[in-house]
Amino acid sequence: MIYLQAAVAGALTGGLFAVMAVGMSLTWGMLRVINLAHFGLILLGAYLTFQLATGLGIDPILTLVVSAPVLFAVGALMQLAFDRLGLTEFNSLIVSFGLLIIIVQLTSNVWSADFQRMDSDVNPYATEAVTIGPLAFPVPTLLAFVAAVLVVGAAHLGLTRTYPGRALRAFAQDRAIAAAFGIDHVRLGTLLAGLSGATAATAGMLFALGNAVIPTAPFEWVGIVFAVVILGGIGDAVGTLLAGLVVGAVSGLVSVTLSPAAAPLVIFSAVILALLLRPDGVFARRPA
Amino acid sequence: MKLVSTRRLGAVMMTVLLAACSPAASPSAAPPSEPAATPPGSPTASGAASAPAVAPPSGEPIVVGSTLSLTGAFGATGVIHRLVGEQFVEELNTKRGGLLGRPVEWTLLDDESDGAKVTQSYERLISQDQVDLIMGPYGTPNILPAMAVAERFGYVMPQHTAVIAPLLTYECQFPAWSIGTTPNEYVPGLVLDALESLDTPPKTIAVVANQNGSTDFVANGIADDPNDPSVANVAKARGLDVVAEIPYPPTTTEWAPIAAQVRDANPDFVFNSAIGVDTVNLIQAFEQLDYSPPNLFSLFPAPGPLLGVGEAAQRTLSISLFEANEPLLEAAGPDVQAIVETYEANATAEGLPYTTWETQATASWTAWEILVAGVTAAGSLDHEAICDALHASGADTTFLGHLTFDPANNNFWPPDQLIKQIQGDEWVVVWPTDRAAAELQGPPS
Amino acid sequence: MIRRGLLGFGLAYLALAALPFLRDAFGFPVFYLVFLSTIWFWTAQATSWNILSGYSGYFSFGQAALVGVGAYTTAVLVGRQDWPFLATLPLGGLLAALLALGIGALAFRLRSLRGEIFALLTLAVPFILGSLARILPAIDGGQGITVPAPDAPDPIGGFQELLYLLSLTVAMGALATAFLVQHSRTGWALFAIHDAEDVAEGLGIPTFRAKMVAIGLSGLIGGLAGSLFALQIGFVTVESVFGLTIPLFVIVMCVLGGRTSWLGPLLGAVIIVTLQDRLASAGFQGWSLVILGSILAALVVLAPDGLVARLRARAAPVAAAFVVPFVALAIVGFGDGLVDWLAGALIAAAIVAFVPVPASLARSVRARVGRPTDRGTAAEPATQRPPLTTEPLPAPPDAGSSGPVLECADVVKRYGGLRALDGVSLRIDAGELVGLVGPNGSGKTTLIGILSGALRPTSGSVQVAGRPTAALSAHEVAHLGIARTYQIPRPFGSMTVRDNVAMAVMFGRRAMSIEAARDRADRHLEVVGLAGRASHRPSGINLHERQLLEMARALATEPRILLLDEALAGLNPAEIDQAVEVVRRIHASGVTIVIVEHLLRVVNQLATRIVVLDQGRLLAAGEPAAVMRDPAVVRAYLGRLADA
Repeated sequence: MIYLQAAVAGALTGGLFAVMAVGMSLTWGMLRVINLAHFGLILLGAYLTFQLATGLGIDPILTLVVSAPVLFAVGALMQLAFDRLGLTEFNSLIVSFGLLIIIVQLTSNVWSADFQRMDSDVNPYATEAVTIGPLAFPVPTLLAFVAAVLVVGAAHLGLTRTYPGRALRAFAQDRAIAAAFGIDHVRLGTLLAGLSGATAATAGMLFALGNAVIPTAPFEWVGIVFAVVILGGIGDAVGTLLAGLVVGAVSGLVSVTLSPAAAPLVIFSAVILALLLRPDGVFARRPA
Repeated sequence: MKLVSTRRLGAVMMTVLLAACSPAASPSAAPPSEPAATPPGSPTASGAASAPAVAPPSGEPIVVGSTLSLTGAFGATGVIHRLVGEQFVEELNTKRGGLLGRPVEWTLLDDESDGAKVTQSYERLISQDQVDLIMGPYGTPNILPAMAVAERFGYVMPQHTAVIAPLLTYECQFPAWSIGTTPNEYVPGLVLDALESLDTPPKTIAVVANQNGSTDFVANGIADDPNDPSVANVAKARGLDVVAEIPYPPTTTEWAPIAAQVRDANPDFVFNSAIGVDTVNLIQAFEQLDYSPPNLFSLFPAPGPLLGVGEAAQRTLSISLFEANEPLLEAAGPDVQAIVETYEANATAEGLPYTTWETQATASWTAWEILVAGVTAAGSLDHEAICDALHASGADTTFLGHLTFDPANNNFWPPDQLIKQIQGDEWVVVWPTDRAAAELQGPPS
Repeated sequence: MIRRGLLGFGLAYLALAALPFLRDAFGFPVFYLVFLSTIWFWTAQATSWNILSGYSGYFSFGQAALVGVGAYTTAVLVGRQDWPFLATLPLGGLLAALLALGIGALAFRLRSLRGEIFALLTLAVPFILGSLARILPAIDGGQGITVPAPDAPDPIGGFQELLYLLSLTVAMGALATAFLVQHSRTGWALFAIHDAEDVAEGLGIPTFRAKMVAIGLSGLIGGLAGSLFALQIGFVTVESVFGLTIPLFVIVMCVLGGRTSWLGPLLGAVIIVTLQDRLASAGFQGWSLVILGSILAALVVLAPDGLVARLRARAAPVAAAFVVPFVALAIVGFGDGLVDWLAGALIAAAIVAFVPVPASLARSVRARVGRPTDRGTAAEPATQRPPLTTEPLPAPPDAGSSGPVLECADVVKRYGGLRALDGVSLRIDAGELVGLVGPNGSGKTTLIGILSGALRPTSGSVQVAGRPTAALSAHEVAHLGIARTYQIPRPFGSMTVRDNVAMAVMFGRRAMSIEAARDRADRHLEVVGLAGRASHRPSGINLHERQLLEMARALATEPRILLLDEALAGLNPAEIDQAVEVVRRIHASGVTIVIVEHLLRVVNQLATRIVVLDQGRLLAAGEPAAVMRDPAVVRAYLGRLADA
């Protein structure tokens, strides 16, 4: 039973990674921007949730009403700038790395380098769980899982069923042809980056629900989120969700069977094996 | 509280909008050397009135150089050491007549929690900036590289927080915090001493240990020697059953599996060889499983977040040098009270989430006092003389009394630690009983 | 050039190595050595990364693995086993090189390895190693390892002097290695891989070998510098060596400095280390990362191809703007000493490098000095295409043989459930000019891929000049005398038109140096009428010219058999006539040709035999006129047309 419990809890945590990863994956795949600043936006989202919940007494989940639009705007503006500068894929990596360390420093200046954590009176979710039979589903990561399903579902439907989504996919496949068909990539890219910013707000809120926030937190996320993005297939929302869940569940299982210290060993060895056997992205499905 | 936070939200907006032109939030590294105009009759002045009037310092300033982790992984605690250092230097110049009659200046560099930058910065401070004295940085992984530089130049280096005695082999390194020459034996012994005083002492123990340079040695002793003292070995020797030993990496994000294993092992006592917010995460995961260990110890926790966990963190134990508890402050006298009050005001102004004076601040203050004691006793800035003077006569400190430094023990003085416990919304000292502010609380029966 | 370069490195090394011994004479603080040692460490790391990732385009996020292996080798052996440090240094480099070769052997064997897959593979390695170090008490166990400083031998003086000299040696060795690689065959191969890997392989370039050489050298340098890093920090922990800081900063340095040159990583390292030091000690507490981040972003925006590219454009003024202020500041003893002089000189150089020059001035300068290009080829003015030469082409080395030169039997190619080719058997004799036709999706391009060795058939066999190709890699197949062009031209974008062709000569069946290859390349360019475009970049010529470049490049491999995949697509009638003429002349010189073409008029005109594919099967083969009358062929074509 402990194995099942660990796998379930791990998979739910994987949902959080999926929410962190999905925006990054889509902007990378569709817009060819490797946006390290996305981690900075997640951090800002976490601090905004902390600030609004602690300062104004808003329920932490409801802080999204403010943080999602704010980070939508920040994400969209960033993409406009990237687009205006005409950055290549790897130059975008450096510019966004610069933005990330700027954000880290600014959050440190504003909220201090010390841990900030919502107290139990403003954030009742941290220690709660939904219990079904012998299995406990921790509320912060359960919410992350639900959010992951919703975000990924919306992204999938948006990309396959709406005009802007299909246009974006066309653009991702062949920029020249898409442009010939009159697809306005600047507006679409801005929209996608804005939505990605909003997912960062969600991820940040979810992180703050279950964790103490510290300015250097993004550097803890980079490795696992990159793994999820690439395992899922760059630009593939559903793949990202599956990758997040599997990575989380495996990590949980290894923690109880071997040792928590062995989790990175097993996860990343599995990543290597999977890549060698299925180099097209393990959970990647060909674009529909 | 609400007001402060709202104002800070405003500050966020301002910072984002006016990033380029708003002034730096933090004060500059060098403290003012001019004497502060303390209004007569102010509480600090009257509090320190017992001290004899001293002449204000004059002449060339003495420069003390050090780094602290103001950013990066150790930044959370580094800021405490910056505030205490600034306060100490200020007080040294304004109230204690400086050092050897000269004013003291502190050159502080940010090492970004990076051992390589620590080395580079200390080399710069000593060989380029030619500072007169140095202080250690914060955090064992930073203190060790700094110590290597100090040793090469023969500089005396008091340091706040490196407690793994066997690693600190430089004879002119002086610790301000000691958990003995064998912390792997002393810490579990002390905690179990305390717990054995309960009506129902624990019979089983689980060891949950962060694999990190600061914590792993306390939990396991020498890594590849299974017979070296460790929490598990000490507990076994005292007749406890070790029901689980779970090491976890510093990068752990998944706490549920660890919590589930502990719950299934059902120990009477969980020894969490923790740093930062590990124990907060562990308690949350316990709560989610609807489990609560009868007794829980946390080694080096960030103090604030644990207090914010609420009911679930009640009765959590940790070790301490000194806590700002009323009875202890009462006993310590007006000097200590004034220091603590000033610090808490500064920490509030800095926007720290947890502003109470506790172990880190005590260690920091003590390290500065060791430096001053050595220089004063030597009567010069000659490092050999300072080092010898400290070995010969030790140091008198405000919070920890007289400290002696024996090179045979790597200068680690006989430990005299306190056990503190979360009771209500504060940490209170509960052990040893003669210095306790409150009684140790056991699990509700 | 290479000898002069190496001489330069030697002199620079001697001059820099003298610094510690001059310290007493000039009275500069030992901190200068520490500061420079830091620069050397990052120079070595960035160079290690650049030799593989910068040159070949395979971005690695795993630099920390190399640093970690080197650092832990030293930490465990010195700190726990009491080995002398110098004995652990080569071992650290060796183990890291072995690790790197292991990663390369796994990754580069993958036929469909893409850049991002390689990036993730390398990202995963430090996590695995860090986890292992924590699990195994024999390595670390979680506590970290103290590395005691070794005693410096007598003439060297102290520890910092020793560390400086060792770091300098590794960094200079790394730079010289990068310089040599850049100007070697391996270097050219790596740049070709960067631009278009499978094209390079198809031209006969042994890409696997080149990548393995690069990754092995990268591992060796990274491990050596990692071993020194252990000494520098004195206390090795999993977090300090296996973190993401090192990979990120290494990438930042290389992209900032410029990835295509050995000089780029050095520039990047000097700039970033100096910046960080100045920011840390200038009292910008709370703002230093903001400033660093802004400068990074600004530099990348101003110089997207790296600073080296800007330097090349203005080499002399920038060098002057660096040297003059540096010397001036040193003479007046400005500020804090060396680091301030360096910072001042860098700022001056940066201003000169980045200040925009009025377009008119730039044009006149360019007209005088010629258009600068990456690999130092002189430019000639763009002229009208000269008329084609009419002299006969030289015959390829094995022309004139007879009998089958290319055979395939029962070739099947499946993609998932789809059968792109379904049992094709074909025999092509020396001297034939075969037209391969068929409706869209009938499998023509797949067949070209399989014949050229780029694709492997699911089943069936291919023989080139009587040799089965199943066990050969594509470049070995190419060396049997087969070459192809691509329907959509795929030139090496970073090279001139001449060097595009020279690559094929250089790595052809008879290996030769780049200089000799360039001479021959010019002759091939004349054959296709591109001589006037030799110094242009592929991005600067039109589609027709790029298709002719494809042909010249294929021809330069001196093939027995040339596979032309829709070489005429998208051309206007005049251009088609010219291209047809070129094909005729190539054929006349004794090269067997297979041409895929939609325009039946052209095929009828050219081909000695026509082969028709439909839905992955051979529908018909024979005399052009006879095949065109074949009812099945008519149905296949007209039926489609009627449907469409």
